[in-house]
Amino acid sequence: MSALRRAALAVWATAVLAGCAHLAPGLEPEDLARLPRRAELSAVPFFPQREYQCGPAALAAVLASSGLAVTDRQLEKEVYLPGRQGSLQAELVAASRARDRLPYELAPQPAALLEEVAAGRPVLVLQNLGWEIAPVWHFAVLIGFDLDAGRVVLRSGTTERLEMSLGKFVRTWDRAGRWAMVVLAPDELPADPEPQRYLRAAAGLEAIGRLEAAARAYARAHERWPDSVWPVLGLANIDYARGDLASAQNGYFAALALDDTNVIAHNNLAEILAGRGCREEARAHIERARQLAAKTTLEPAVAATSRKIASMPDSESESCSASATR
Amino acid sequence: MGGFFKKAIVHVLALSILSLGSPVVAQAEIIGTLAGLESHQRARSMERVQQALAREEVRAQMLALGVDESMLEARLARLTDSELSALAADLDNLPAGAGVLEVVGIVFVVLLILEAVGVIDVFKKFP
Repeated sequence: MSALRRAALAVWATAVLAGCAHLAPGLEPEDLARLPRRAELSAVPFFPQREYQCGPAALAAVLASSGLAVTDRQLEKEVYLPGRQGSLQAELVAASRARDRLPYELAPQPAALLEEVAAGRPVLVLQNLGWEIAPVWHFAVLIGFDLDAGRVVLRSGTTERLEMSLGKFVRTWDRAGRWAMVVLAPDELPADPEPQRYLRAAAGLEAIGRLEAAARAYARAHERWPDSVWPVLGLANIDYARGDLASAQNGYFAALALDDTNVIAHNNLAEILAGRGCREEARAHIERARQLAAKTTLEPAVAATSRKIASMPDSESESCSASATR
Repeated sequence: MGGFFKKAIVHVLALSILSLGSPVVAQAEIIGTLAGLESHQRARSMERVQQALAREEVRAQMLALGVDESMLEARLARLTDSELSALAADLDNLPAGAGVLEVVGIVFVVLLILEAVGVIDVFKKFP
């Protein structure tokens, strides 16, 4: 009987180990060349988790590190879901946004996390401390690493300084879908900025009406990626939202100069031109937007603008090309 | 059959709400930057309606999950449309980071099962 037990235990242990063995820490030689051997952000505040409050605790640590006066107890009301006894990633992102912080989701590579720590920013990570079939989701904050020792340091749960092997950390992070974010001041860039990731975060600020923060982020993005249409479009949208239609119109023209196929620049420009009574110009731009938006998620919104322009009275059909850019 | 009609009515109502009121709020007419960054090929024509319903769906689910009513609107207002859609579709199964306390419980359950099956016998050592 005891031999059978031992055999069963061995089979179980092998299965568990085999399930993890193929997941290497995933650091490439060029990553190692770029990174310092060790770093630890000992100034990152620690909020010991109460009950299931690892979301508020981890978020408070990264927000406080970005210069905000915030505690885990304040965040609990904003991100905790009693019925799930936990917090959702989307709500951690949203709570950062609501405080004019840019929630930048990192590329799913271990090196991206370590680079942020090396640059002085703690990284909020989602881990799965259980198994694929019986997940145990946990938020923690990566604050340090030591490549020679193969260790990382986390603010985690009730442990202020949790040391873990790099390999084990990467496995728990990998099982949770490799999700990690840093919170940036709106005009701060991450260590290795990717335009799409940065712009989506900036556009999230615009989408919920944090216009001042969004404008700062777009301005920073425009500086960094001067050839991209999106920061220019974003700034024009913010001008529009603030009621500065003249600046918005110029912005949409500038956006189209960078990318003549941008649906939103055409649509929004058409909207402004129509509002000014410039029906011919408005029609030209909305027609172009309609062609470009066909079969995409933008199609219904463009169709709505198009209907509105088509229903404009004929008496206002004069051309305004002379004053189009004033 | 009744369910189908109910759904159809909800969709029609949602559509009519979408087409209402837009001339009043000028801002609603332009398309936000995020919609452009997230735009993709459309699978179904009902997507826009579903987006309008997503906020309602998430509101109902969050209430059911015990979110404080005084905070509910603020929490909804800071989510983007695509985040709302994702939550509406799968709130029950999305990861909810809870923490290490649960691990203790799960380890205990695993030990109990192993004990019951006879792989281990830690508990017999405590009379």
